[in-house]
Amino acid sequence: MPAKNEASANVPVTIYIPGPLRPFSGGRPRVELKNSPETLRDALDELWKEYPGIRDRVITEEGRLREHINIFVGNENVRYTGDFATRLAPGAEISILPAVSGG
Amino acid sequence: MNVGDTVGNYRVLAKLGQGGMGTVFRARDEVLHRDVAVKVLSSHTIAEKSAKDLLLHEARAASALSHPNICMIHQVGETGGDLFIVMEMVEGRPLSELIGKDGLPVESILRYGVQIAGALTHSHNRNVIHRDLKSANVMITPEGLVKVLDFGLARRIHKEVLPETARTLDSLGASDETTMESTGGLTGTIPYMAPELLKGQLTDQRADIWALGVVLYEAASGKLPFLGQTILETSGAILHELPAPLPAWVPQGLWAVVQRCLSKDPQQRYQRASEVLAALEAVQTASVVGGGATTSIPTGPATTVLRGVRAVAVKDGDVLLLVGTMKGAFLLRSHAKRANWNVMGPVFHGQAVYSLAYDGREGRRRLWASTASYWGTLLRSSDDFGRTWANLQQASIKFPPDCGASLKNIWQVCLGREDEPDTMYCGVEPAALFVSQDAGESWSLVRGLFDHPHRPRWVPGNGGLCLHTVVLDPSERQRMYVAISAGGVYRTDDGGATWQARNRGICVRHEPNRFPEFGQCVHKVVLHPSRPERLFLQHHWGIYRSDDHGDSWQSISNGVPSDFGFAMLAHPRDPDCVYVLPIESDEFRCTPDGRLRVYRTRNAGSSWEPLSKGLPQKGAYETVLRDAMHTDGLEPAGIYFGTRSGDLFGSTDEGKTWKLILGGLPPVVCVKSVVIGEPGNDGKIQAAAKKRQSSKAPKKGSAGKKRGKR
Repeated sequence: MPAKNEASANVPVTIYIPGPLRPFSGGRPRVELKNSPETLRDALDELWKEYPGIRDRVITEEGRLREHINIFVGNENVRYTGDFATRLAPGAEISILPAVSGG
Repeated sequence: MNVGDTVGNYRVLAKLGQGGMGTVFRARDEVLHRDVAVKVLSSHTIAEKSAKDLLLHEARAASALSHPNICMIHQVGETGGDLFIVMEMVEGRPLSELIGKDGLPVESILRYGVQIAGALTHSHNRNVIHRDLKSANVMITPEGLVKVLDFGLARRIHKEVLPETARTLDSLGASDETTMESTGGLTGTIPYMAPELLKGQLTDQRADIWALGVVLYEAASGKLPFLGQTILETSGAILHELPAPLPAWVPQGLWAVVQRCLSKDPQQRYQRASEVLAALEAVQTASVVGGGATTSIPTGPATTVLRGVRAVAVKDGDVLLLVGTMKGAFLLRSHAKRANWNVMGPVFHGQAVYSLAYDGREGRRRLWASTASYWGTLLRSSDDFGRTWANLQQASIKFPPDCGASLKNIWQVCLGREDEPDTMYCGVEPAALFVSQDAGESWSLVRGLFDHPHRPRWVPGNGGLCLHTVVLDPSERQRMYVAISAGGVYRTDDGGATWQARNRGICVRHEPNRFPEFGQCVHKVVLHPSRPERLFLQHHWGIYRSDDHGDSWQSISNGVPSDFGFAMLAHPRDPDCVYVLPIESDEFRCTPDGRLRVYRTRNAGSSWEPLSKGLPQKGAYETVLRDAMHTDGLEPAGIYFGTRSGDLFGSTDEGKTWKLILGGLPPVVCVKSVVIGEPGNDGKIQAAAKKRQSSKAPKKGSAGKKRGKR
């Protein structure tokens, strides 16, 4: 059993980067995180440590998710799962997407 | 051809190397007593006679090139069925060998890059395209001189050896391994090939500019920007992927040049090698001045290179119209006659551009734009008239953590006075003022206003709680005004430390107290620089004038069809002349009676005249927003305005007659007009005022005295 847990913990968390932000991720459409973040907050901190240009485009200076941006963990919008405190399972897939709103 | 052979005047001394194109020998020119390089293209490389003839033709064209950075071709000929090319013997090492695993120092990249771009400029001007530029074809002499080899020789060879040089990516993909093998010695060239070449499209000198971008990238990082395990992967990367950012120590300017060279669409690249040369020289100058200092923050794409937008060429004396819309910005350029306009745009596709400005102070040629989208609001600058825009890693305008506020929009970018060339202001939403003392590099919140005791009682207007207008007193450095919707006018007399509400006499209809100290929904304030004590104001309801620095206001709405409106403009020279664009009412925010009319007073508001010649007078239910009217300040003054329904109108005779300049735009939010080479919109008008002041001291006194003269 320990061996199995260790193996699953090693499955990296992946963040999918939307097109408009790829200039800030070196063109990468997805980023695999080296560490094993436990929460969305940890994952995002790791993302913008590596790609600082993404931060200000996703959250405000008060640290809130921008109004028209959604983050999903798997298929769940994190606004319903605890926002940045949303817990991540090994291998979790995080998507950053603009909302369908505005004119 | 073998060592010891003599061909014509040349005795073959030694074999120097062998590549995809053939074998290179060192030979002795027995007539001129100099060593030369002889490249022999073996007969199996070029089988068809027509191909051979073409190669000879192109080699002859290339032999006409004479430039210190181009390896000179002395002669082309044929011996025993083999073609040979006799070239200048270059002692040195190919750039490909000098580039280490981490790339070259910036100084070397720029020094070599400038020389390669110079060589391409020379050859392109003579219609010779290199077509196989790569680091292995760039020799560096021991003195650091660049010599570009093999000009114009690649075209036929590629077609022969790599039969369908990837006429399409699909054909390449049919069998990676086979294609790899069949291309033999040319595989090394694929990473330098431009996307259009891989697609089998017609190519021109811009394919060389792409290749130069690859060489610069390689020199800066030690890596090729697009490289896969197979040709298919490499080609796929060239066609679809963005290059990874260059290391942090590479100046942002150089990265911007490389990115522009590597635009997938040839239209978006530099169109001429001379442009790359100029850009590299500019970076070279900048890095010398900057002392090579680099930022500790990891840098990314410092610059956005616009896609799908053709640039317009701009020179001093041209008039530029900057048009911000809800879905991007447009730049229009005209000669001083202002008869025809070239249009560039949309810049910032889909983003709301609420504010635009031009800074021509101290020789700058800088555009500023605020852009708002899902991804936040950014202040961006361009030093090349909108071809490239700074794209900062981090937003430059942010509320400090203790404010409990986040930037929503930047409503106004305002330049400091001409004699404070590094000062700029931004009015933002939520209502606040930011100031920069380093020409827009860094910004700080003006605390005196943000901490004002009135602030909690300001209420948002229809457009949000915004500080939309910043007005500087040109004669008194410590005095400035801001207008907040809905908070009213505030003035500082101590450079921003303290602020006083200045709304006495401005009537509100939304409160029982018709004349509150503050809370007015001011839409626009303008000041005439030659009479800095005089301000005009367009209120939610009412048009006003102040002749005492805003201490008191008097209504001047008599004679307009409606006192509601947004836009207001001071004439650049006449302090009694102001333009407004009346809107029917709060509920019906359209021009009255479906007639689009500008109203002008030339007696400081005693009477108004409609200016409608050339403007639609039937079914024109338009709105013109607060920043969507401006003047170029020329003589006679050009007046321009844009409507919410996307029409841009202009007058070159101070409003007597109007023309539609451009229709069908997204809703226009902001219009600025500037003359290139002059200090800038705010600065320029102030400069004009100074001249006026020096020739004729401003007369104090009521508008009534002036009235009589009209």
